[in-house]
Amino acid sequence: MNRNIRAFGIIVMLLFVALAAQLANLQVVDAKHLNHDPRNTRQVVADFSKPRGAIQTADGVIVAQSVPSGDLYKYQRQYPKGPLYAFTTGFLSFRYGATGVEAQYGAALAGRDLPSAGGLRGLLSPTIRTGTVTLTLNDYLQQAAAFALGQRVGAVVAIDPRDGSILAMVSQPSYDPNLLASHNGTAESTAFTGLNRDPGAPMLPRAYRESYAPGSTFKTITASAVLDHNPSIATTTYPTLAALPLPQTTNKLHNFGGETCGGQMPTLFVISCDTGFGQIGLDLGAPALSAEAQAFGFNQIPPLDLPGVFRSTFPGPAFFDQQKPLLAFSAIGQDDVSATPLQMALVASAIADHGVIMTPHVMKEIRDSDGNVLTSYTPKAWLVATSPSTADQIRAFMVSVVQEGTGTAARLPGVQVAAKTGTAEVTPTATNAWMIAFAPADNPVIAVAVVLPALTGVGNEVTGGVKAAPIVRGVIAAWLQHLSATAAPHA
Amino acid sequence: MTATATRADRRAQRRNRRALRRWEVANRGTELGLIVLVAIAVVGAYTLASLGKTASLPVNLGPFLAVVLGLLLCGHVALRILAPRADPVLLPVAGLLNGLGYVMIVRLNRHQAGLQAVWTALGMAAFIGTLAVVRRVRDLDRYRYLLGLGGIGLLLLPLVPGIGEQIGGSRVWVHFGPLNFEPGELAKVMLLVFCASYLGEKHVLLAQGDRRWGPIPLPDLRALGPVALAWGVSIMIMVAEHDLGMSMLYFFLFITLLYVATGRRRYVGGGAVMFAGAALIAYRTSAVLHERVTVWLDPWRTSQSTGFQLVQAMFAFAAGGTVGTGLALGSPSRIPAVQTDFIFAAIGEELGLAGTVAVLAAFLIMVTVGLRIALRADHPFDKLLAVGAAAILGLQTFIIVSGVIRLLPLTGITLPFVSYGGSSLLTNYILLAFLLRISDSSARHAAGITP
Repeated sequence: MNRNIRAFGIIVMLLFVALAAQLANLQVVDAKHLNHDPRNTRQVVADFSKPRGAIQTADGVIVAQSVPSGDLYKYQRQYPKGPLYAFTTGFLSFRYGATGVEAQYGAALAGRDLPSAGGLRGLLSPTIRTGTVTLTLNDYLQQAAAFALGQRVGAVVAIDPRDGSILAMVSQPSYDPNLLASHNGTAESTAFTGLNRDPGAPMLPRAYRESYAPGSTFKTITASAVLDHNPSIATTTYPTLAALPLPQTTNKLHNFGGETCGGQMPTLFVISCDTGFGQIGLDLGAPALSAEAQAFGFNQIPPLDLPGVFRSTFPGPAFFDQQKPLLAFSAIGQDDVSATPLQMALVASAIADHGVIMTPHVMKEIRDSDGNVLTSYTPKAWLVATSPSTADQIRAFMVSVVQEGTGTAARLPGVQVAAKTGTAEVTPTATNAWMIAFAPADNPVIAVAVVLPALTGVGNEVTGGVKAAPIVRGVIAAWLQHLSATAAPHA
Repeated sequence: MTATATRADRRAQRRNRRALRRWEVANRGTELGLIVLVAIAVVGAYTLASLGKTASLPVNLGPFLAVVLGLLLCGHVALRILAPRADPVLLPVAGLLNGLGYVMIVRLNRHQAGLQAVWTALGMAAFIGTLAVVRRVRDLDRYRYLLGLGGIGLLLLPLVPGIGEQIGGSRVWVHFGPLNFEPGELAKVMLLVFCASYLGEKHVLLAQGDRRWGPIPLPDLRALGPVALAWGVSIMIMVAEHDLGMSMLYFFLFITLLYVATGRRRYVGGGAVMFAGAALIAYRTSAVLHERVTVWLDPWRTSQSTGFQLVQAMFAFAAGGTVGTGLALGSPSRIPAVQTDFIFAAIGEELGLAGTVAVLAAFLIMVTVGLRIALRADHPFDKLLAVGAAAILGLQTFIIVSGVIRLLPLTGITLPFVSYGGSSLLTNYILLAFLLRISDSSARHAAGITP
């Protein structure tokens, strides 16, 4: 019997060796891979159980904070402004991870990458240090932009063209991030499922994660391409037409609303003449237009410091080889061109800033619990879109758009506003109403893009000049007023 | 002449007795030393867990130390009186596992920790009670069939309407008023005694008898009958209760006992064939087992539903790494049933590979010490009972740990001494008492003392 007992002993030992081998595999060999698995919410859990820094606007309004909670996780993340900043702050969810600034600057907010108190004292009683993130967004302007947009579906992006600071970013519809920060798993998943099933897509950040045909706002880039690549086109007079015959097809490019128009490029720009710009696109050629779009940031992801930013697209030159007519449509921002509101705001800020696009960003600075600045954003250029001289000429065109063209609804007393309207037909019955703008024209402090996608209606009621321009005007007016009000005491 | 011889004899006897007493004292002295070390380790872990959780020393550090040391000393004193020659290692190692498990449970769920403390005290009482009542395990021979039938009766209890209760897919609980009990745990001991006793008597017959049906050798069914019946019935009951882990344990326990008793590999081979067949049938017919196997093969596909528990356990082990996050500094609460079936994952996260390997080493020590006791035992029944007790500890640990670390499909069962669960704790202390009783008996026998 003893021999059998020993044999059994050996079997048990072998079984335990197998256990140890698999444990070594899980805990050492595979550990890194498992720790970085996207389904692993352990880091989030750890962050949940610690205090977490606040997120505040540039003017000091708290938009995310952790308050002590009586439950297992010790702290509850709150978003006092609800849906208003949902697409900037994002949310910190137990189950669904983090998005927005909560994800982008998660390490700083949780205090993970902050130096801890040294010495034995620090080891024995580790005081948890957290970082507070100050945004470039201004609450006054954010509220004004949200008010101007109202309940309509759309997005507003306002940038300081001088340094790339995002001043306001509104996307409608939105959602309440508090619902997803609930410690109650059922409430959390019910909210998440409901929001995802909502046909209105309230969790889609339209400002930077959705792209729309930019319509005539794209003529800013077409006009720049002319001045940069073939200036002779700018002095060519184009015939007055209602519809432009296209090569290789019997289809024609019709003006919006059946209007007739023609003339030289500055005139065509101000009245937003589609037949004229369609022909300009054909004359200019695909390589020049494609290169200009690229220079303005198309086909690249803008380096905004938020996760999930979309790239805007313009086809490469080869695309048009066999489909020449499409080049005419692309030159007026239709068909295969699509742009995010963020991208079009960057186009406006390129013109405003003498051809340079500054890197867009939402983080202004990060401070530790004691108020010391840990990180401060240093402005840097992202792209040189065009030359200063081209930018200055386009600026003049855009000023005319507001003074006498399609954008008169954006006019403000005492301030010169530069703008370009856009009305992209996405279906025969729906249009995207756009406007990009900046002000004051001679010394811009704000660049804005507004889109109201897929508006249904007919004629001039659904154009950028009618629908988007008042929003632009409201945002610019609010910002200039705010600046003069806050600057006044120092003067 | 005669007087001198008698005097010399008496002197020799006295010398022998003194030597024996010294040896007894040495054995129990080792145990006392180990108990002090264990108490320091457990109280240290408790303090660290409290520091990790609230960054302050536990308020009840003194009382806690008193209770840990007190409980272990109760066992120690009982051994000094009731089984002085018993092995000195088993009780401290069990205390270490029990203490570590308790620290993890405190850290996970304070309410359950209170219950676990009560059950630990009851377990220690059962340990002492068993030592006091069973002065010679062979005395249990007499109650062989009573224990066998009683075991099966206990197994059937959860199926009785009114008192049986289904928790988490398995119907293995009974409740009398506020008291919940898992009778399968206690039945484990009773059926083990029955089998050890029966096989201890019939092992010669079973090792020799050889019938053939054509080329296939058949066991002597008349000799094997009762034990095979008990085996089959108990496993069928547990399958009916969806208690996969316990039925696996019973299956391999019986095979082990049969093999140790007879030394016939054909029982192992036959058992393997039967296991494969039963597993295949169960895989085809039991939704629970089918799901477990699917999750085992690919937990990632269902990481938000059926695979959630296993995936979270794997994340926990990975988070622990080599030395762990530190006690109460991990987040094992993410894993459903972490206090019971998955407590090993919590240890893996907070104590790392160092901790998990140490726990496995502790179990291996208990198993090998148990098997050494079996080797030294001087009666087939004693040997089989010791092997069975060691096998339960070893196999049960292997079954649950291999499931939790995704070495084999998960079949829920408690980790002996560590998991939260009163029935399991009580049963394991009884098994421990059996092992110590047997080791004391064989040491006495070797010393020429008959009780």
